[in-house]
Amino acid sequence: MTAARDLRPELFVKTVPPRLVCSRCTETDQLFYPIQAMNPVTSRAGTMVREEVEGGGKLLNFTHVVRGMPGFASPFALGVIELDAGPTITAQLTEWKDCELSMGMRVELVIGEIKRDADATVVIGPMFKPVKGKR
Amino acid sequence: MSGVFVIGAGMTQFKPHPDVEVHELARQAAWDAIVSSGVAPRDIELAYAGHAYQGQCFGQKVLLKIGIVGLPVVNCENACASGASAVWGVYNAIKAGQADIGIAIGAERLASAKGGFTPLVADDLESSMGRVMPAVFSMMARKHMERYGTTPMQLAKIAVKNRRNGILNPYSPWRDPISVEDVLSSPVIAGPLTRLSCCPVSDGASAVVLASARVAKRYTAKPVEIRSAVLASGIRNGVGMADDHSEMTVRAAKKAYDQAGIGPDDIDLCELHDPFTIAELVHYEDLGFCAPGEGGRCVDEGRFEVGGDIAVSPSGGLLARGHPLGATGVAQIAEMFWQLRGEAGERQVPDARVGLAHTVGGGVTEIEAGATSVHILVS
Repeated sequence: MTAARDLRPELFVKTVPPRLVCSRCTETDQLFYPIQAMNPVTSRAGTMVREEVEGGGKLLNFTHVVRGMPGFASPFALGVIELDAGPTITAQLTEWKDCELSMGMRVELVIGEIKRDADATVVIGPMFKPVKGKR
Repeated sequence: MSGVFVIGAGMTQFKPHPDVEVHELARQAAWDAIVSSGVAPRDIELAYAGHAYQGQCFGQKVLLKIGIVGLPVVNCENACASGASAVWGVYNAIKAGQADIGIAIGAERLASAKGGFTPLVADDLESSMGRVMPAVFSMMARKHMERYGTTPMQLAKIAVKNRRNGILNPYSPWRDPISVEDVLSSPVIAGPLTRLSCCPVSDGASAVVLASARVAKRYTAKPVEIRSAVLASGIRNGVGMADDHSEMTVRAAKKAYDQAGIGPDDIDLCELHDPFTIAELVHYEDLGFCAPGEGGRCVDEGRFEVGGDIAVSPSGGLLARGHPLGATGVAQIAEMFWQLRGEAGERQVPDARVGLAHTVGGGVTEIEAGATSVHILVS
């Protein structure tokens, strides 16, 4: 059986559907991803609480990478995703070969294989799947 | 005469140097800079060494080879802006009266040591998820094309221009011209960027000797003044550099122009951060050489060719001279030194009096980028 590990602790939870682990500021209500120890906008400590959010969002931009770093299964697609919950993140896209990617299209969070370590351990993390027919 | 001046410069060729270790490359550049300045090694009072991946106490190891020991040495890492940050450090130390003479060294050995890859920044979240620089700049291109109608052909013309310039530069490894068709038909790296739209990862080193107004003219009748030196970092944004402009560059350039009392219309030549063709085009706009969205039209009109309004990347730039990360920002200042003294040989920009050097470094999740620098130099 192939070994697997999470890319980082506290990035996501494997619920159905999966969720992202964020921090919300109790003073400003702003949401941050990934998790933050203090508010990096107000520079105030002691105001952040952990919050899990769903990973639906909008594809702001995208590209196809013909040759990635060692360990990444090239080619792959990369996109900038604005989450409905607020934060923006750059992450890999899945199931991109069967659809025409476009700016503004809907995407949803999946947890999948991002890369493999040198010892073939599968590294798992957040990725985004195009939602066909939806903008 | 007041301010801080460049009085000497040195550089190795930017190419794979498989048989030369990085400290030796840096020693060669530093020694050439010291010899060209006329300064005795013992008179150098401080040093900054810029690099991204070359290990602890890099600058001390380089200077030890020349017999320069005991002085303050600061090693600085700011990704592709590491070398420019070293120049900024020496400039500010001299400006503050900490020294009359200092040396900025920049070096990197990646083409030979790491198989041609810039190593993955594993501690950065988005890098660890697959973000690589060609992908970021590919999305910059997509955004600029979508908003302003910029075309792949306009981007390709930048690669052709810079190669034409680089061929005349003995520090560049290339001697063959390329055509727009060559650029467009070379293998796609991250569409629309092809292999010839991207800079290579190189090995190389550069160094400059800076001096205070008090002592500069003891060494040369033609010191080149650094009229402004600005270093900035990115502010929070969600898209990093995958945008149609660089807020960080706009901000740093404005500050540099204000400090220097010089505007974009006064600039004769510019070495800007062009690791990808789209970056050069976007930075024309960020640096105020043209209005946002006009970069493509300016390329078509040849406004940034040698002989145009502003000679951009007369050295060939990162695209056609090479990009050893830590060396690049210092190399830009060295190029300014030679150009503004009329010593740039076949690639000399006629009547060059005012130059601008610009770098950007470091993809960092949650901010635009790690660092940018703008230096304005005057003959």
